[in-house]
Amino acid sequence: MEVREILDVFRAADPAALKEKYLAEGRKIVLTAPVYTPEEIIHSMGLVPMGVWGADVLLKRSKRYFPAFICSVVQSIVELGMRGTYDGASAIVIPSLCDSLKVVGQNWKYAVPGIPFIPMTYPQNRASEAGRAFTKAGYLRVIRDLEAATGAKFSAQALADSIKIYNEHNALMRRFGREAGKYLSAADRSAVFKSAFFMPKEEHAALVKKLLAALEGEKPLSGPSVVTTGILADSPAILAKLDELGLRIAADDVAAESRQYRTDAPETGDPLDALAAKFAGMGCCSVLLDPEKRRADLIVDSVRETGASGVLALQTEFCDPEEFDYVIIKKACAAAGIPLLAVEVDRQMANFGQAETMLEAFSERLG
Amino acid sequence: MLTLGIDIGSTTAKCAVLEDGRDFRAVSLRDSGVGTDGPQAAFEGVLAELGVSRRDIDCVCATGYGRAAWQDADLRASELTCHCLGGVYVFPGLRTLIDIGGQDAKVISIDAGGSMAEFVMNDKCAAGTGRFLDVMAALLRCPVDSFAEAAARSKSPASISNTCTVFAESEVISQLAAGAAVEDVIAGVCRSVATRVGSLARRLDMREPVCMSGGVARNAAVREALSEYLQVPVLFDERAQLFGAMGAAIYAAKRKSKE
Ligand code: SF4
Repeated sequence: MEVREILDVFRAADPAALKEKYLAEGRKIVLTAPVYTPEEIIHSMGLVPMGVWGADVLLKRSKRYFPAFICSVVQSIVELGMRGTYDGASAIVIPSLCDSLKVVGQNWKYAVPGIPFIPMTYPQNRASEAGRAFTKAGYLRVIRDLEAATGAKFSAQALADSIKIYNEHNALMRRFGREAGKYLSAADRSAVFKSAFFMPKEEHAALVKKLLAALEGEKPLSGPSVVTTGILADSPAILAKLDELGLRIAADDVAAESRQYRTDAPETGDPLDALAAKFAGMGCCSVLLDPEKRRADLIVDSVRETGASGVLALQTEFCDPEEFDYVIIKKACAAAGIPLLAVEVDRQMANFGQAETMLEAFSERLG
Repeated sequence: MLTLGIDIGSTTAKCAVLEDGRDFRAVSLRDSGVGTDGPQAAFEGVLAELGVSRRDIDCVCATGYGRAAWQDADLRASELTCHCLGGVYVFPGLRTLIDIGGQDAKVISIDAGGSMAEFVMNDKCAAGTGRFLDVMAALLRCPVDSFAEAAARSKSPASISNTCTVFAESEVISQLAAGAAVEDVIAGVCRSVATRVGSLARRLDMREPVCMSGGVARNAAVREALSEYLQVPVLFDERAQLFGAMGAAIYAAKRKSKE
């Protein structure tokens, strides 16, 4: 298959159509909310995990559950739930990783009573022994609730197998993250990351493998590139502008993209302990406690490693964890002499004029 | 070599023609912007003033809010880049440029070499823009052009919110109802714009010299309030509104000479 043909498959991964297909095949779907959910558990129980990160929709019905100043990611998840977009799903797993997510779980029970809410409660201090035990207890609760909601059964062996599949996919996505910037447009790159939330892992991994092989024969793109950071980087208007300006994405620190794939679970020992160890080992993310805030160094390092010309911070409006980190990232970039542009994005955004002007000016500056 | 910059803003259209990347030969300004015949009139006006036609222009660069809609452009550049180039042309050694246009406000910090180092733009609200002043002018029945003169008579400027145009509007009404003098309210409105934009400037590593560009720069009351708020002199040049167009012409000349 040619690069274009493979990319078309990723681009065609429409979540609504895939949901219908899985249901028609008699499979049960479990929705996974941002930022990190134990997808491996869902997968191991023979259920289909489908990521729900909201969508660019007009918020109407969900407004009744939220104050005005809350991120549009959680609001649009509830909006879609209330509209029936997720109908047919057997449950939704919502982690407790930010204040907005904590609220959404409680609202979900009333707003979308047809789809059971399963909380995944994580500890703040995830690396200590007590932290790992707490995480494991959270997984056990998820398993119990999944069994009740779907009738599926958990087995440690199946989880160990799923962990292997996920680790392999993680490794491929890490490689893809490094290679994509050399060959692909911002929109194509985003399509590969986004489809990973909807396509079966094995299928996605096989296709990414094919894509990586096909890219080997491609001619690298030239021109300046940036490292993106933020929660989401899937706004079609922003991606189109980056492509129009010839600004490549050399690497990313985006929650819905590379942050998902940085850490593997160990493939030995009790698989639930292994998953807890994976969570303990994760970091460099606004929703994971890190008193040293190494995320800023990670961004600076990836600019240096990839030779990118600057950092593009796509700030989801009203996302407080990201807003807190931004100050640290800004200082780190300034100290390293790296140009940084912050553009506020929002699932409700209708007018991109100002964002486009800022991107243009930034690209003129990067030259 | 003649290069032409056209800056199509939300309320005005400006053109400037540059010869050999050095001397401005003609400029034009029309008080109607994107979506009107203002840009065409400004374009034809500047050509007529020089007695040349479009064919005599080596490169046209469009900038401003309406830059994408100007079909006859050889190049397009953001207004941030163009204002920076125009500002540095007029004030060599300039390090900070504060541009308040009809629709938005931006602050650009410029490095020692005259290139844009960093910039910030205001968020979605019209507070701190020309539009805010227009809304207040209509409410106060006093043209914006007379604001500076009225504010100069103020003895005790009223305190007006700087975060939201709608709130500020009701504040102005309550101030007037409570018997505040119109000149005090006008001085408060100018301060409100200055504080809003000044706080944007403080987000950057602001260095002197500082200048203002854009239509609002003509308003001495806002300039003075800004200077007071930032505690630095704020430079002004009569061509402040033309910096974008001038910068676009410079941008075109630079690109042409690279070819
Ligand atoms: S975008 Fe930010 S505030 Fe919203 S759910 Fe994600 S982490 Fe929480």
